[in-house]
Amino acid sequence: MSETDIKNVIAARAAAELKDGQVINLGIGVPTLVANHVPAGVDVVIHSENGAVGVGPVPEVLCSDPDRGNAGGAPITLIPGGSYFDSATSFGMIRGGHVDMTFLGTLQVDGEGNIASYEIPGKLVAGMGGAMDLLAGAKIVTVVTEHCSKDGASKLVKKCTFPLTGAGEADVIITERALFRRYPEKGFFLEEVARGYGVDDIAACTDMDYVVSDTVKLDAYGSEV
Amino acid sequence: MPKNKVVSLEEAVSHIESGMTVAVGGFLSQGDPLTLIHGLKEADVKDLTIISCTGGFRDRGVVELVKLGKVRKLIASHIGTTPDVVKAYHAGEIEVELRPQGTLAEQMRSGGAGLGGFLTPTGMGTVVAEGKEHIEVNGKTYLLEKALRADVALVRAHDGDTWGNLRYRGTASNYNPVCAACSDYTIAEVEYLYSPGEIAPESVQTPGLYVNAVVRADLSYLGIPLTQC
Repeated sequence: MSETDIKNVIAARAAAELKDGQVINLGIGVPTLVANHVPAGVDVVIHSENGAVGVGPVPEVLCSDPDRGNAGGAPITLIPGGSYFDSATSFGMIRGGHVDMTFLGTLQVDGEGNIASYEIPGKLVAGMGGAMDLLAGAKIVTVVTEHCSKDGASKLVKKCTFPLTGAGEADVIITERALFRRYPEKGFFLEEVARGYGVDDIAACTDMDYVVSDTVKLDAYGSEV
Repeated sequence: MPKNKVVSLEEAVSHIESGMTVAVGGFLSQGDPLTLIHGLKEADVKDLTIISCTGGFRDRGVVELVKLGKVRKLIASHIGTTPDVVKAYHAGEIEVELRPQGTLAEQMRSGGAGLGGFLTPTGMGTVVAEGKEHIEVNGKTYLLEKALRADVALVRAHDGDTWGNLRYRGTASNYNPVCAACSDYTIAEVEYLYSPGEIAPESVQTPGLYVNAVVRADLSYLGIPLTQC
């Protein structure tokens, strides 16, 4: 699979988690693609943490406007009914539990639901932006990430070694190979395996602690072969 | 008729002195007060502490002050989209303090609202929580985050009247209202200037009592033309 295909497989499975009527927040990268895969019959409203709700399609180039952008600085449009507000209000919405689900990419995620997504010590100093508030405030946190990093190491780790963005906040992890869901006191369960992989393949490429669900679904999603 | 606060760019930025803390509104060029930043570039000031969520965007905004060596410290949330700020930090030219985006906004809101701080769940169990007081309320633990204030605020609004009532456009409000509120002296640049009463009272987002000086924005600093789509 090409990198684009991988990203779209992850985004499509992530979009299948959406429920009609939810308010959702999409991080930068793969999470942004989730908007392209919202299932028919499901209406969701997209929140952008810099200060917008009801984010619509990307505008035509000539219609992009420096005063209408998303949290990554890209131009946006609003759907009818959308609104703009200041950042204090926006993060009040987030911490106040008014955002149902947030999707974010990560550098590492571990079996306790810890997420490290914003800094590789000594390498990358970007800042946490709104991710810490989103992890703390959104009702459901869905991590969408490629299973392994470019050097082949599992991004689903035994224990996060990079600075945490959130402690114990990950609820669902979706990669191009598998879906894991975390249950209180029990940890992550492998619930779905994508086409082209088996339960043993997932074990071989996953350092994170998890339990294989009794009802694990094989060939659950992925690109058509 | 309330006081006319419209002044020249030079007069407005003359209120900023070396060593001051300056809160700058805007987020990734959305609502960045680029006219006032231009004025500050020309002013003979240094050792500034700047509060700005993103430090500008690419090569514009607060980053321009950083490159001129006017900034000693930047309090921000995300600087990954202003590479020259990251470069200046790695070169040891500036100090950078990073905070969660919502915490930064609420610290400024608190500063402007007379509060000493607030309790937040954001950052629990992360480096953000280190050294901070943990307080339990109704069985849930929160961090105590203290309020932030600044000497001067630089903000941009699409519409403003001569008393300083401001109305923002699109996502350009972002940090501008909290910057205006948490500072001792607030300078607003406005794209369209009105007489008092011309902006509908219920659509004013930052009432003029927060604003000390109003400057006409120079639209040429925006770089990108506003569209009517």
